[in-house]
Amino acid sequence: MWGSRALTCFFVCVLAAIVPCAAQSPGSELFEKTIRPTFVSKCYMCHSSQLKSPMSGLVLDTKAGLLKGGARGPEVIPGKPAESRLVQALRYTDPQLQMPPTGKLDDKVIADFEQWIAAGAPDPRQDPTGVAAAPAPLKGMSIEEGRKWWAFQPVREIQAPKVKAPDWPTTKIDSFLLAKLEEKGLKPSSPADSRTLIRRAYIDLTGLKPTYEEVEAFASDSSPNAYSKLIDRLLASPRYGERWGRYWLDVARFGEDFGEPPFPYAWRYRDWVIEALNKDVPYDRFVKLQLSADLMPDTPRSDLRALGYLGTGPSYHKDARLSRDVILGFATDDWDGEIDAVSRGFLGLTVSCARCHDHKFDPITTKDYYALAGVFASTSAAERPVFDVDPQTDTRFMWVEDRLWELDLRVRYLTELPGTKPDESAQKVAKWLAEMEQLKSEMAALKDRYPQLGRHVAAYGTNLPKPRVSKPNNLNQPREDPKEPFMDTVYDAALYVDGTDPDITMLVRKPGEARDLPVFLHGNVNAPGDPAPRRFLSVLSKNPDEMFRKGSGRLELGERIFTDAAPLTARVIVNRVWSWHFGRPLVATPSDFGTQGEKPSNPELLDDLAARFIAHGWSLKWLHREIMLSAAYRQSSKPRPDAERVDQTNSLLWRMSPRRLDIEAYRDSILQAAGTLDDTMYGPSLNLDAEGNSRRTVYGRVSRSNLNTLLRLYDFPDPIQTSSGRDLTITSLQQLFVMNSVFIQKQAAALAQAAEKEPDQSAKLRTLYRRVLGRDPDPAEMDLAMSYLNHATLAQYAQVLLATNEEIFWQ
Amino acid sequence: MNEELTRRAWIQSLCGGFGTVGLLGMLASEEARGAPISHYLGPHFPAKAKHVIFLFMTGGPSHLDMFDPKPALTKYQGQRPDAVNLRTERRTGGLMPSPFEFKKHGQSGIEVSELLPQIGSTIDDICVIRSMYTFNPTHGPARNLIHSGTILATRPTLGAWVTYGLGTENENLPGFVVLAPRPGGGELWHSGFLPAEYQGVAFDDSVAEPEKMIKYLRNTALDPEAQRQQLDAVQALNRKYLNSFGEDTFLEGRIKAMEAAYRMQFEASDVFDVRKEPEGIRAEYGETPFANGCLLARRLVEKGVRYVHVFFGEGQVWDDHKEISKNLRDRCPDMDQAAAALIRDLKRRGLLDETLVVWGGEFGRTPVSESGDGRDHDPYGYTMWMAGGGIKGGLAYGATDEFGFKAVENRVSIHDLHATILHQLGVDHEKLTYRYAGRDFRLTDVFGEVVKDVLV
Repeated sequence: MWGSRALTCFFVCVLAAIVPCAAQSPGSELFEKTIRPTFVSKCYMCHSSQLKSPMSGLVLDTKAGLLKGGARGPEVIPGKPAESRLVQALRYTDPQLQMPPTGKLDDKVIADFEQWIAAGAPDPRQDPTGVAAAPAPLKGMSIEEGRKWWAFQPVREIQAPKVKAPDWPTTKIDSFLLAKLEEKGLKPSSPADSRTLIRRAYIDLTGLKPTYEEVEAFASDSSPNAYSKLIDRLLASPRYGERWGRYWLDVARFGEDFGEPPFPYAWRYRDWVIEALNKDVPYDRFVKLQLSADLMPDTPRSDLRALGYLGTGPSYHKDARLSRDVILGFATDDWDGEIDAVSRGFLGLTVSCARCHDHKFDPITTKDYYALAGVFASTSAAERPVFDVDPQTDTRFMWVEDRLWELDLRVRYLTELPGTKPDESAQKVAKWLAEMEQLKSEMAALKDRYPQLGRHVAAYGTNLPKPRVSKPNNLNQPREDPKEPFMDTVYDAALYVDGTDPDITMLVRKPGEARDLPVFLHGNVNAPGDPAPRRFLSVLSKNPDEMFRKGSGRLELGERIFTDAAPLTARVIVNRVWSWHFGRPLVATPSDFGTQGEKPSNPELLDDLAARFIAHGWSLKWLHREIMLSAAYRQSSKPRPDAERVDQTNSLLWRMSPRRLDIEAYRDSILQAAGTLDDTMYGPSLNLDAEGNSRRTVYGRVSRSNLNTLLRLYDFPDPIQTSSGRDLTITSLQQLFVMNSVFIQKQAAALAQAAEKEPDQSAKLRTLYRRVLGRDPDPAEMDLAMSYLNHATLAQYAQVLLATNEEIFWQ
Repeated sequence: MNEELTRRAWIQSLCGGFGTVGLLGMLASEEARGAPISHYLGPHFPAKAKHVIFLFMTGGPSHLDMFDPKPALTKYQGQRPDAVNLRTERRTGGLMPSPFEFKKHGQSGIEVSELLPQIGSTIDDICVIRSMYTFNPTHGPARNLIHSGTILATRPTLGAWVTYGLGTENENLPGFVVLAPRPGGGELWHSGFLPAEYQGVAFDDSVAEPEKMIKYLRNTALDPEAQRQQLDAVQALNRKYLNSFGEDTFLEGRIKAMEAAYRMQFEASDVFDVRKEPEGIRAEYGETPFANGCLLARRLVEKGVRYVHVFFGEGQVWDDHKEISKNLRDRCPDMDQAAAALIRDLKRRGLLDETLVVWGGEFGRTPVSESGDGRDHDPYGYTMWMAGGGIKGGLAYGATDEFGFKAVENRVSIHDLHATILHQLGVDHEKLTYRYAGRDFRLTDVFGEVVKDVLV
């Protein structure tokens, strides 16, 4: 196969090989008249020696290339047109082999090709010396070379460097940072004042601001451990999980739908993340549970919610009326999404680049890619009961529900559109309906032990024939009651696409089975190449020949991420956590630690911290404490012209980087100031715009297909793919929200109402200041406010404070 | 250096005053210099077009009943020759002739069906591309393809790429505007991995009142003067805070953004109000949501908006799996009138030369029947058209096969279309790249060739 994905790659005019020689034979006359012009106009754009990587390794602009053929062997067998692949391709008889992809050539031209080959395929061209039949395909880094890449090296604790100002460092982090600053002749900034510091720490760890009273108590606490006590207290707060869980959900590309049907129980995964972070579940276990909780021994049932990481991932709708090829194409897109999320999210590697060709820069091959794709091809999403079920019934139920879903959909298609053979369609429908009834009664028969299972599947096959897929996508009303005791998870079941029925393509899931995929050449599902048994990325593997043996391989994948790839994994998460604390990462490309990514600004610091993070049992709370107790973290964020001249972007951390609040912290702190914040934890999501929704933003519904306007305005990342970090923008549309939205007006009114209790105007204003900005107004501010209130209401002034830069700025 | 001094002077003036003097005048003069706030790359070579208006016909309009006459359908009515055994979404029957008559129009003599007399009357300004093709027979993936060049839902959309590449000419309005009746979704105008500022901003064109169209546009509690006073109070505090904190791009940028937002309320209220158009003009477009959309698109490009994407109707309206004859007869007049009015109106104002108008859906419809009197999806060959912006008018380009199923002559893929649109804007589609996840992405991936034959 020459790669039907190839259309018009890099168009290159190749005229170099024209040779001025008179036609000697009918064959070579034909070559000049038809063959060569056709090659030039139809083939060279993908099959030229001038290309960096010609499709299928086939080049037609040199004599040697034509003789040699491509990856599938010779294309031309002189004297035998019928046996030449070139002719088969031109004839368009084999649907897998049609060239040129832009359309079949004229029969006359094809006849000329046949005649030319029959005449021995004379090729009068003379290749300039040194022209290879095909250039070596463009390769990225070799595996061997790749093993030397900095990000893959073991991490080790590094001795703190000597510094000129040994009094400044309070933690090891500081010594590394200070050494770099001193190299550039820079000094760190003075410590932030205590009011700024407590506000910084509160927002950082909880996404909420301290109350005025908390600020004042901290400011007047002169005990030496006041700050570390504060950090401990905040880390123990349940608000911590809500804040840091949301960061993780960005990486996990968390969303609650992807078209139809939605994932009604996605919120249970979100809740699990919040709980797990609050419990400081070690990061290695935290990730492994998300990949393979169902395969890990002695996992409490409630931890299976972690599988929502895969179970709620984007999955393209597979319309059963489409051909096997198209459906299989969608399935490979789903697998690709998982590979991308896992590889960039956990490993900081862009493995998806190796889907169509070996990675052009990093040591990742297509074989690596399809070895991982096999893991996801052996894994199916399914709704699973939250209550304890014996393993056999558990698997059976998941398979049955999935099967019912498939059959239900197909019955609806064929009932609505019986097609040209209505009798046959009716027979199929009857057969499927019978199977559905049987499966449903099988589940109903479990009623003594598991009454919910039968009830859960009872609706399939009813209310025919309206196809469920054409139901409008009502985002406020999931199809199923999200409170039902089920969770969106995955289980081991290999997916196959059965295209033998010309009317309807079937998805076949084989529970308990795993499958290896072949390498799909150029990502084309119709061009299977070498088998790619499931295994881990070779460049990261201690033993690259070791295949995954246990089920789908998810368990082993999770293990390898924390054994063979542990140094990389630790660097990646440490860098992310660093970036969420400081507003800028040490490696500027948090999801790309490959050769196209940035190098760390302070490699020793990153390595040392990663090594100690591992040594401290992958504890994220340890990492927070280590970072937040540093002198670097406690610096003032004020601008300093001397330092800006040397390091404008603050890459050396000569100050704390000031930032805008993200939307979660902004909305939550407004609710908090207004006194309307509902701090109930957990539970099904509610649209943020829903009337009276005053819960924390992390509990707002995240729709992939219809993202909430407020989230969209404030740089919420696209939940379809793993996020490497948010760009915090300032736009006019954001300000319209602040100035005009009913939400802000309501909160301002609530805020004013709370202040109205005070006896006089200045006391009311003080209350507003304390609640919004956590401080008292100074006399000038008081004057300003008083004069404003001459012609405006207290609520309007409350809105002024909510709209200020001070409110949304995090210094 | 000079610019830096100006900036410093501006900041000083910002920090100096503490009264209730509005920033409006000062900022307005800052704006007047025309320096856009957003980052932009600028064109690669002189542009023919400055703006794009894309009229999107969701669902896949039938090229065979509108732009691509095929007499062979009558001759072989009901038959199924081998050439039509292409797999589409659903099962199809025999060849179905168009129930509509085609007539030659204009000097160019391009044939257009009786459904589209108005477009017919402007055909000499239009380049009809009859050889479009795409790569997927279902709506979702095909719509992603035409909007972002891939079936994946993850990539930036055309309008996002354009505004990322060229910025906008009016900071008081979004650079990428989407007009649709009750727009939901967002996946067809999201910015993907491009910064969020390049995403399309959607407005509901099924209503004529700007305050209903634009979320948060109108302050329901305060009149403009009272709001100005409130904003002055905010900005006074903001300047004081900036003064005490020190120079900061965020703090300064948000002060500016607030002023821009304040002005946007009025400018947008004005530009988004089609009721301000003379009676005659509104009558020319009609008063349907799509007519509002087309008229608004003109008003917006007039004000410097870079890219306007107008959706016809709500949902997959052109998805005529059955009763195609009746449906098209009902639906086409509104579309025909508004689209043709847009071209005439742009031309009268001298804007057509710098505005590229693109019309089409995610695919066309099959020459074979479905459900008796409908047509299935046809990604293999269909029609789109372009007008203005340096495109040759009065040209019918490319051709489908005898039955209109598959593009065979001068085939134009959606990537070629994208490359051509960018080219007219002065952008080389191979150079408009964005580094993400370890590599440079393009709207056209590794595909796309500018269709030189249709350029003036």
